[in-house]
Amino acid sequence: MRRRAARRPRPWWGSGAARDLLLLPAQYDEDAEGDGCGSARAERRRGAAVRAGAAALRAGLLVTKCGLLRHRPAGGGAFWVDSQQKRYVPVKGDHVIGIVTAKAGDVFRLDVGGSEPASLSYLAFEGATKRNRPNVQVGDLIYGQFLVANKDMEPEMVCIDSSGKSSGMGIIGQDGFLFKVSLGLIRKLLAPKCEIIQELSQLYPFELVLGMNGRIWVKAKTVQQTLIIVNILEACEYMSAEQRKQALAKLSGNR
Amino acid sequence: MAAVMAVESGQSRLRPFSCELGLLSRPDGRATFLQGVTPSVLAGLYGPVEAKISKELPDRAALEVLLRPKVGLPGVLERSREQLLRQTCEAVVLGALHPRTAITLVLQVLSDASLLSCCLNAACMALLDAGLPLAALFCGVTCALQPDGSVLLDPTARQEQEARAILTFAIGSSERKVLMATTKGSCSVEEMQQCLAAAQGAADTIFQFYRDSVRRRYCKS
Amino acid sequence: MKATPLSNCERRFLLRAIQEKKRLDGRQCYDYRNIRVSFGAERGCCIVELGRTRVLAQVSCELVSPKPNRPTEGVLFFNLELSPMAAPGLEPGRQSELLVSLNRLLERCLRDSKCIDTESLCVVAGEKVWQIRLDVHLLNHDGNITDAASIAGIVALCHFRRPDVSVQGEEVTVYTPEERDPVPLSIHHMPICVSFAFFHQGTYLLVDPTEREERVMDGFLVIAMNKHHEICTIQSSGVVMLVPDQILRCSKIAAVKVTEITEQIQKALENDQKARKEGGKFGFAESIPFQRITAFKMESAAVDTNDVEEQAKEIIAKADPPAEVFSKPVLLAAGTAQIGEGVENSWGDLEESEKEEAAEEEGESEAAAFECQKVETEDTMRETKNGKYCFSWYHILLYPFL
Repeated sequence: MRRRAARRPRPWWGSGAARDLLLLPAQYDEDAEGDGCGSARAERRRGAAVRAGAAALRAGLLVTKCGLLRHRPAGGGAFWVDSQQKRYVPVKGDHVIGIVTAKAGDVFRLDVGGSEPASLSYLAFEGATKRNRPNVQVGDLIYGQFLVANKDMEPEMVCIDSSGKSSGMGIIGQDGFLFKVSLGLIRKLLAPKCEIIQELSQLYPFELVLGMNGRIWVKAKTVQQTLIIVNILEACEYMSAEQRKQALAKLSGNR
Repeated sequence: MAAVMAVESGQSRLRPFSCELGLLSRPDGRATFLQGVTPSVLAGLYGPVEAKISKELPDRAALEVLLRPKVGLPGVLERSREQLLRQTCEAVVLGALHPRTAITLVLQVLSDASLLSCCLNAACMALLDAGLPLAALFCGVTCALQPDGSVLLDPTARQEQEARAILTFAIGSSERKVLMATTKGSCSVEEMQQCLAAAQGAADTIFQFYRDSVRRRYCKS
Repeated sequence: MKATPLSNCERRFLLRAIQEKKRLDGRQCYDYRNIRVSFGAERGCCIVELGRTRVLAQVSCELVSPKPNRPTEGVLFFNLELSPMAAPGLEPGRQSELLVSLNRLLERCLRDSKCIDTESLCVVAGEKVWQIRLDVHLLNHDGNITDAASIAGIVALCHFRRPDVSVQGEEVTVYTPEERDPVPLSIHHMPICVSFAFFHQGTYLLVDPTEREERVMDGFLVIAMNKHHEICTIQSSGVVMLVPDQILRCSKIAAVKVTEITEQIQKALENDQKARKEGGKFGFAESIPFQRITAFKMESAAVDTNDVEEQAKEIIAKADPPAEVFSKPVLLAAGTAQIGEGVENSWGDLEESEKEEAAEEEGESEAAAFECQKVETEDTMRETKNGKYCFSWYHILLYPFL
């Protein structure tokens, strides 16, 4: 199995112990701390960062999304709210799969599933010059990362990293299949040593690209195998680990 | 006038309600809310998505609410309810995080009688399900003032018709503030304050219900 | 809101898969998705789920005067709506072409096939007939709206009961459901649409296409048939040219499918009828699968309203006293009155003849409105930051004081 999602961004969903504390919006984090996260309180005082899902107010922290509270102790500590969501909001540095919708002069317009189309300059590919343009058609798939992504400006994507190398980004091949899942599942799949991917890799060899905007591209040797992988990944959202193992066992038995 | 109310048992009952989250595959946030047997509303939410140039706002998200009745075309009643819902939602959604986008909330009435409070609850659950940034949760509670002056929470259709006044409140989850209030019929100041206090008590139950249903959904992962 | 574009890679993959006779969800070429029918508490209301496509149908009736050229027949009115929640590309007012074609298809399937006996809807010839109105709403779009809408329509019509009517000479009595049991509509047969999608210039054929398959199809054929194998409607569209052979094959497939679907519908109707008769629970609340983690139910809850009085009194005592009470309304003419006086006109001097009634109050007193006699108001109030109430907009109906 060759995994194209070579470079994972900073792992902020890391391996912290998952505290099953459900937070709902409009809950001050003072309450959450009182529920027994003693060490958490200590880390907060040390200036731990608070990431997605909470907004800083003068009076304290305000929870803005509903989900489970997660904590990563390493590197100063960070807290975030792990929520299930379908709609993607562009974040700088995220690797996503975009669909080319238009070519406007020197710039391609890509649909990334957010509220605005992203722009991608034709020079942002490895080895591209004014004479040597990349061969991109409308409807192609591109794997790139966000250079500029904030709420006030149109998001911009590039297919090279800061040193000019493509490191796995660029136009995705012609075959294979693209489908969409929820953002939570993507984060689970991108975690290091993800069980699902390991189990699937024992089934058939396949290529996989995971975009943080919920899009997954899969390519296996035959159409049938690709469809099986697609269905299993889509069902992973609602299947528990045992059900998944059973389904995979049945499939590998059938082979 | 007010003394009669405290007599019975000092307790009012909310009808059983149930909800289902995430049952439509296309919308970003979707919820069904059923109150009692009859009133039920299905809410679907898309957002934040690209807004039309004529409708986009430079500093926050443009929220649009569409309420569709089961029979016939939407009329004046639906339009006024849409405005009330929109104002309530705008008060809680942190639109400043998504400027120049649009958030569309579509509510479909699934049964004959649609209480405004049912629409409010369905809207809040859809906002939760979609993962939009919220400053607070809200819930809708309806009170009926009976001719003898007693306060009845969550009235049925028949009780509504016999009541002297119907008051609907949208109550926020932070400090139980009132986000929206609308009344039909006449009542005195004291009666209104009593209904409000009763509604704030009922709001606690409804917020606990939100918490339990969301917990059930997240407990698997 | 724009729909997500279809990438070339998806299109190519789907066409290749169809060539190998494989579908995304593992169905065979002629298989339907799971059909699930659930009924509401009211008569004539049902939700049909065809895979993930969801459709809501409601039937209602009222007495109207008949059309002049058909004085003894009832009136049928069909309305299909694509709700904006069904798919991101559907906005109110921008889906005209698809909407019109679906509406026409539904009408031809149900009205022109004469499945409902319109003569039985006549109450007084030439004066009063029943108008049966069917509203169909699409709640979630995952392909094949036609089939789902036709199934929902015919199920709702079979489920519906209209009030009983008796005519004695010149007198017509309409009985409420409590007085006499409502009667069902007289339906001759149940036409159901079956959709076929063609690919690769008609070489490959799929039944019940999903939304993705619909995006890559070349041609589309709909056959409406009932279980007696009578074709009620046929419609073909798209860029594919069909030979008669293919159409015959499709009609044979449709015959088989329609029989299966009709059986399923009959069973669902019988189950609902049984549940209602035995006094069991029915309605949407019962059809939600509560074992799923996405559903949750709470039983009737008690709310403690004991100390509501004391709380209310406290709040009123603490609140600021209301601003000075405005004077009673001044009657200007029969039917118009004025409360308070308007503010100074800041635009400068306008002509004296332009006297506007200051009907908008700018005070902060809720007490004033309530103390106004015989005032019916429908108010909308917003809490301002300092906790007082202030009116932003309301209607006043004033009775002229005699």
